[in-house]
Amino acid sequence: MTGGRGKGAALFAAACLMTLYSLGPVAVMVAVSLARDPLSTLSGGLTLAHYADLVRGPSLHFLDYLKNSFLVSALSSTLSIAVTSAAAFAVVQLRLPVRRQFVMAVLALSMIPQVSAVGYLFKLMARFGLINTRTALILPYSAWSAPLILWLLVSYFSRIPPDLYRAALVDGSSRWQSFTRVIFPAAAPGIFSAWLLSFIFSFNEFLFALVLTSDYRARTVPVGVALFQGLHGEIPWGILMASAALGSLPVIATAVIFQKRIVSGLMEGIVRG
Amino acid sequence: MRKSYPVMKGNQPSRHTLGTSDEGASFAFALPLALLLLLFAFLPLAGTLLTSLFRDTTFLEKKFIFLANYSSLFRDRSFFQSLTFTLAFIATSVPLEIALGFLFSLVVHENVPALGFFRVALILPWAVPAAVSGRVWELIYSYSHGIANTFLLKLGIISHPVNWLGTETGAFFSLVFADVWKTTPFVAIILLAGLQSIPSDIHRQASVDGAGPLRRLFTITLPMLKPSLVVALLFRTIDALRVFDVVYVLTKGGPGGTTTSLSLYAYRYYVSGDFGYGSAVSVVLFFCALALSILYLRASRFREVLA
Repeated sequence: MTGGRGKGAALFAAACLMTLYSLGPVAVMVAVSLARDPLSTLSGGLTLAHYADLVRGPSLHFLDYLKNSFLVSALSSTLSIAVTSAAAFAVVQLRLPVRRQFVMAVLALSMIPQVSAVGYLFKLMARFGLINTRTALILPYSAWSAPLILWLLVSYFSRIPPDLYRAALVDGSSRWQSFTRVIFPAAAPGIFSAWLLSFIFSFNEFLFALVLTSDYRARTVPVGVALFQGLHGEIPWGILMASAALGSLPVIATAVIFQKRIVSGLMEGIVRG
Repeated sequence: MRKSYPVMKGNQPSRHTLGTSDEGASFAFALPLALLLLLFAFLPLAGTLLTSLFRDTTFLEKKFIFLANYSSLFRDRSFFQSLTFTLAFIATSVPLEIALGFLFSLVVHENVPALGFFRVALILPWAVPAAVSGRVWELIYSYSHGIANTFLLKLGIISHPVNWLGTETGAFFSLVFADVWKTTPFVAIILLAGLQSIPSDIHRQASVDGAGPLRRLFTITLPMLKPSLVVALLFRTIDALRVFDVVYVLTKGGPGGTTTSLSLYAYRYYVSGDFGYGSAVSVVLFFCALALSILYLRASRFREVLA
């Protein structure tokens, strides 16, 4: 520590400014959602009425959106982890012959504009009668979150000592058993970080959800909030901000609770790539 | 760069002596992911490429027209307007994100009190869906009762309310600011990882040798951070190139189409039922992203890590 106390104070002040900037819009969202008079922010007192209206309003379908978002994000992350961890096992432990090309092809996907796939994806889903179903989102989400997950898991799996896998084979385990009973558990903390990142990715996805769903039966929170309009032309800001706050609560809570895992997962997944 | 892999079984002194071939099994384990990606990512991409060669609209018979969609594209002024906006958006938002992200990464790299809290604060904008925070920005920018106008009027920075979303310049910078807010955490985290990989001994030795903080920033930190800066730059450029959510929510491409990003432009054609033309726009966007990602893969240490 060279700067001493002056440096510490300056840093702390900078950190506070950063927080003000980052949390400003979040604070606006929460404040307006709780304000009795949304347009004068907090001077009119506090109320939970907007939340009550939001949850009770049957035509708003907010709880349906929330449920869809939860199901779609949790299921697609789980599916993605299942197939991607098997692929990472193939790449790292089984030394897949074309592993370099394979990983490269998967990683390339993270660069591709979603709009370049969404039009045809719509036709594909329409052909199978899947438009406006959660399945229509779960399948593409699990594919499009694979690049980040694969890269993370390849990185985590490579750190498992090779002897662990060899010992499992010597003990008579099949490859499947050594994967499910040795490698997967050994990488469990990393796999959980990857699951969280995938969950946030899927929860926040917008374009596919906008195109592939049409109403409350499959629509997710971001699309629901984006398309929310007032009944009589004037936007009811209180209810809208309540929906924004409640709708982003799952990801905000995830970020708060698992901050360390998320930050280290992102650092691992992006920077090593 | 290509290595050859042992295909013989049983006579290698390595793990290949164990059991039967790992090779066949490795394909079996990779297959589910390969199928998932083929079906829901690469097939749609190929389909888009193919569709762009057709007249594929709702009420007309589907017809192969080869590159006609692309030649219309080159005569389409709205397309160039959207291309210009997208490039201007990249050129404005990405440098701001990198600069601010760098400052933030410096802050959370140091041992400030309550570091956990500050890191949570840092990543929250990234965690909130862009479509959701877009609605918050819509309220903040609102002409009659937006916090932006109220705040700036009170501070005396402006003398009358600004029509943020209703004017071309206002809408442009509103989008830039909202995007910078949302993506700065991402940049900060990439750069934080870079900062953490710089051995602290180097800094200590340099300060013993009399190098001040500013000098160390320019002679040690920035040069050693270069790989991370390249990664952040390319990732952000590609993301800004395909920007959709915030534009769709905040300006809807307006006023007068001046903030229509390429993704939004393609989307509009899909929605109106013109899949051929929408696909052509998407393909142009795809090739721009591809060019950038090839650059990125070259610049990253991808090869070494996997070898």
